[in-house]
Amino acid sequence: MAPNDEHPDKSERGSAVSRRAFLKTAGVSSLAASVVGVEVGAQPAGPPMVGPGETAVHLMVNGKRVDLQIEPRVTLLNALRNHADITGNKRGCDRGACGACTMIVDGRAVYSCSTLAIEVQGKQVRTVDGLAVGNKLHPVQQAFYDHDALMCGFCTPGFIMASVALLEKHPTPTPTQLRKGLDGNICRCGTFKRIREAVASVKGVPHV
Amino acid sequence: MSNPRIPDPAPAPQPPPARPGDPPPTTFPTAGSAQPPVDTQPISADAKKWAWPEKPTLLGTRVKRVDGPNKVTGRAKYTFDINRPGMLFGKIARSPYAHARIAAIDLSQAEKAPGVKAVLAWKEVGAEVMFQGDPVAAVAADTDERAVDAMRLIRVRYEQLPHVISDAQATAPGAPVVFKGGNTTPGSTEETGSLSDGFKQAAHTIEANYSTHVITHCCMESHGSVCEWDGDKLTAWISTQAVHGSKQGFAQGLKIPEANVRTITEYMGGGFGSKVGPDAQGLICAQLAKLAKAPVKLMLDRKEEQLDSGNRPGASVRVKAGVTAEGKLTAWEGTSLGSGGAGAAAGFPLPYLYDFPNRKRTHTDVYINAGRQRAMRAPGHPQGCFLTEIMMDELADIVKMDPVAFRINNVPAVAANTMWAEYFTSGAKTFGWDKRHPTGDKTPGPIKTGMGVSAHRWGGGGRGAQVHCDITSDGGLVVKCGTQDIGTGTRTIVTMVAAETAGLPMSAIKAEIGDSRLPFAGASGGSTTCAGVSPAVRITVGKALDALFERVAPQLGVKADTLVASGGRVHVKGSPAKGFTWKEACKLVGTEPISVDGKWEPGLSAAGTCGVQFAEVEVDIETGIVRVKRVLAIQDCGLIVDRLTAESQVHGGVISSLSFALFEDRILDRNTGQMVNPNMEMYLLAGMSDIPQIDAVLVDSPEQRARGVIGIGEPPTVSTSAAIANAVRNAIGVPLRSLPLHPHKILAAMAQGKAAGTL
Amino acid sequence: MKAFAYVNPANEKDAVAALKFDGVAMPLAGGQDLLARMKDFIAEPDRIVNVKSALDGTIAPMPDGGLKIGAAVRMADLAENAAVRRLYPAVLEAAGEVGTPQIRNQGTVGGNLNQRPRCWYFRNEEFVCFKKGGNRCFAPTGENQYHAIFGNQGPSHIVHPSSLAVPFVAYGAKFRTFGPQGEREIPAAEFFTLPTLQNVKKENVLADDELLTHVILPAPGNVKSGHYEVRYKTSHDWPLAFATVVLAMQGATIRSARVVLGAVAPVPWRSEDAEQALVGHPIDEATAQAAGEAAVKAARPLSGNAYKIQIARTAVKRAVLQAGGFKTA
Repeated sequence: MAPNDEHPDKSERGSAVSRRAFLKTAGVSSLAASVVGVEVGAQPAGPPMVGPGETAVHLMVNGKRVDLQIEPRVTLLNALRNHADITGNKRGCDRGACGACTMIVDGRAVYSCSTLAIEVQGKQVRTVDGLAVGNKLHPVQQAFYDHDALMCGFCTPGFIMASVALLEKHPTPTPTQLRKGLDGNICRCGTFKRIREAVASVKGVPHV
Repeated sequence: MSNPRIPDPAPAPQPPPARPGDPPPTTFPTAGSAQPPVDTQPISADAKKWAWPEKPTLLGTRVKRVDGPNKVTGRAKYTFDINRPGMLFGKIARSPYAHARIAAIDLSQAEKAPGVKAVLAWKEVGAEVMFQGDPVAAVAADTDERAVDAMRLIRVRYEQLPHVISDAQATAPGAPVVFKGGNTTPGSTEETGSLSDGFKQAAHTIEANYSTHVITHCCMESHGSVCEWDGDKLTAWISTQAVHGSKQGFAQGLKIPEANVRTITEYMGGGFGSKVGPDAQGLICAQLAKLAKAPVKLMLDRKEEQLDSGNRPGASVRVKAGVTAEGKLTAWEGTSLGSGGAGAAAGFPLPYLYDFPNRKRTHTDVYINAGRQRAMRAPGHPQGCFLTEIMMDELADIVKMDPVAFRINNVPAVAANTMWAEYFTSGAKTFGWDKRHPTGDKTPGPIKTGMGVSAHRWGGGGRGAQVHCDITSDGGLVVKCGTQDIGTGTRTIVTMVAAETAGLPMSAIKAEIGDSRLPFAGASGGSTTCAGVSPAVRITVGKALDALFERVAPQLGVKADTLVASGGRVHVKGSPAKGFTWKEACKLVGTEPISVDGKWEPGLSAAGTCGVQFAEVEVDIETGIVRVKRVLAIQDCGLIVDRLTAESQVHGGVISSLSFALFEDRILDRNTGQMVNPNMEMYLLAGMSDIPQIDAVLVDSPEQRARGVIGIGEPPTVSTSAAIANAVRNAIGVPLRSLPLHPHKILAAMAQGKAAGTL
Repeated sequence: MKAFAYVNPANEKDAVAALKFDGVAMPLAGGQDLLARMKDFIAEPDRIVNVKSALDGTIAPMPDGGLKIGAAVRMADLAENAAVRRLYPAVLEAAGEVGTPQIRNQGTVGGNLNQRPRCWYFRNEEFVCFKKGGNRCFAPTGENQYHAIFGNQGPSHIVHPSSLAVPFVAYGAKFRTFGPQGEREIPAAEFFTLPTLQNVKKENVLADDELLTHVILPAPGNVKSGHYEVRYKTSHDWPLAFATVVLAMQGATIRSARVVLGAVAPVPWRSEDAEQALVGHPIDEATAQAAGEAAVKAARPLSGNAYKIQIARTAVKRAVLQAGGFKTA
């Protein structure tokens, strides 16, 4: 989308007085003009500050180290998809509502679109790409495949990761745990019934 | 969308004629009240010879998707996943306004932004933007994030113009005329029989307004492509349900020969009717790639997707209908409106399905300043079905008949594609319809339960698909078809039919789809893919086998036409021992492989499905919240190819219709015309906890099997919403005449019912 | 999302120092709200201060028998904490219903309390509303089905988005904050602010360079509590209205009551009318019904959300019944 041209200066705290003054002096009618090259100001004493430009980010993904040079604003999802060609998990809504991006970070299912890559340094990141061992599918993958719990397949990686996280926590989930555990994912083809059946059929997942 | 009952509207006033990038006119079949035709074309010798086997080994069984492992491991590469060396990211600047004139476009700041390699204006100064999200200009930069930065530096000055965003606004007295030629295009009035006779025969009449709302396709993978040029030749990975159609779309839009375009869709993340061409974003992507001399990926973000990638248009009707005391429909008179968005028509069949011997419909297309409609899973039918089926329950109550009996009383005469009476009867038994209480649950407590029913039909016949088949001396059998898998399981179907025909295991077949270099196949739309591709594969593989038999027969000293391929062998019919293994037979092929072209031909597929659905709901009358407990779907689809994926289609149709009935709603601000919920959070979509028990019954009778293959992607999504709404009425005792079934409507209906003394 | 500089301080002091800044600095906890706002250019910080390490992520008992909940405690952990379950079941229930598993796994207590409104006008940059520095609220004449039915004096008509705020107010929690001027302890009920033209860009009293660090819950005493949320969707959705009731009992009679409604006003909405309707009565259907009626007596809906009155009424009624151990729909 594009900013509203009548009200370019409109974000919640973006219209701080100092910012308005800066823009007026610069004679620019657009907040967007300050998007790039904004002065961050002197670094305070204390922990090191990085960015807004690219900085080194080191991740552990599916047990392998991934070294990236990215801006702090890059999400975990975009870091892996755009900078490391790890594309198993998908970008559906990019706002933490559809779940296609679901990865497991230190044992918990998270929306990788709503997580900065720089925040998960030092943590164990798991994506759908790392679940199978060679051609041997993870039990959850096998169950989705066996039960036809997928159609177009675009939501499937996120659903599988959410299901794996659920089953690692509750190996034999109650129906309520199962449905609530998967309420953070959307499938548009309508595979929910078979996902429910697939996840309920899994007899144990590997200990991680 | 074309609708035989409504002549195509006059060329939409303004801004069409279509710009490059506009979706091509939708041609998916959307029959009117008349039943879709049963195939009656002459049947060729090949089609006769390669008719479906009487005792198939694979067809009709549950076969897992051949690409299932790729999809569950993340190895399947969708367009969104394509990363090319040196690839840039494209981003489109779009109108924030519902209607405006472009006074100025300044690309200079964007051009200077870090990482920017190309910038272009898509619209000219002076042009009008007709809806929020109308594309205006675009940029390509080296990272996703910088592309967004640069897009926001494209400075566009707009002069806002008056807008209309609803039927009411567009047709109000004194409404601003925002579309050249007027905000409406009246369709013709269509009349059958004699209304005055019909109403004379009626013992009772009903007059009411019914309406449905606008929902969006909301494909999980957004629309978009990766475009890469090699000189004057374009390769486009594109998320589309029409690989060949997209190739043509790129060629036309870019004014280059079709031979210079290759489109690839190995995997795609849903389309539902909205992905039949490159659209503006595809052409913009190609142009950015050309300007930047680098590959460009341009996938829409969710907000763009909600605003400018199609929708199921809203529909409404003011209707008067008559019925005899014995419960026979006599007359239907309706004035309908449909809003397809900015200059797009919105047709839907009405009245739906039932026999109204005397009827008259007047339809008007209303143009509004909102994103244009596109075909969406059974285009027109969910609307027509709802607008009719809700009234059917009200009429049944007026004549004091059970809704199922009343419907059976009024369905068209029985034929292979009009089996409703039978399905109503068997479905009612399976569902436990006898436990349904009369309108209004009289039990105490806030939770009221109810049951509802609805029926639907669809075409779904086969059409043009071409296939190439190679059999090589090493035993390879390769089937090539430029179709695509929209998610229904096409790659599996192609493999299954080839394996069935050649008597081989599926692992022996190599199926190639999703590339415009493969033989032509039509769009995956209108539920035509399975019914188009399956016969084409069957006939083509059959012809290849005929060629193989010619080469094998002399070695066996028999005539070629005595040979068959089955059980992994090529042998004399009835004498499995007299022949070769498949591998041995193929060795006889020699260095020149068998290479055969074939295509869809009549005889192995049919058009015309029907189905009925039952729903049970719970309504909390203290909150207005509806929970669907159970849905039963009875669906025929001719000869079932893959029972597993066919069932999945029914489940998916039911779920998406439930989401339509209860939750989804494109909400435009009534004052500014801008969408307030262009996301997947406030645009509510059904999730796991909203999914009821779903039972899918695929009708698998000898009569249905004999009809050949019929597509099933769309029909099951037509009925559910009406069945749910009827169940809600049965629970609470007052009618709900518009979707979605939001708690505010339930509570308001209850309050009105109480005020009117009917509750 | 606009580019920003990033800092990851290890303690409160460094975090507050990093927030003090000439440009716009914002604290990032679970990020489930902030990152989406940044992607939509509703928030455009120049500096992000990751406060997950700086803030306390533990739940600890207090000498008085209450609990001290660190702002960095994640919702999923709160929703499974045994002490919370025993002492403040309404908090547990609210936490378990927030968002989705993924959101609860990332989202923090501090983030839930400080998240910005879900109002769709606020969330879309096309609508330059009061909260974004504009000069109007779009809700009264627009699409207001999910907006306020109480506290509608304006200028803004949002409903407060926090699910935890409601039980925290009901249980009489205090919020500890830390800023350049040191720490403060603010009663939860005074933390949230009704909009005025002066403060409309915020929903609470927290300064830009101040952090909410802890929620301190007093010992509950002999109370029964109930919590009831009404959702349109059962899966991921925001409640249409919800209520927490905390009832101090004297035998079978309600001695005093706290009734707080959520998703109905720009702040967690305490209903003294409902509280009065409860005091002196036993917990039963008639009392619950009366409390529900009293709770919505003063509702002033907008053009399109009067239906929420009935939903709020039901939420209060059922929360009371739940407090009494009755089964509700």
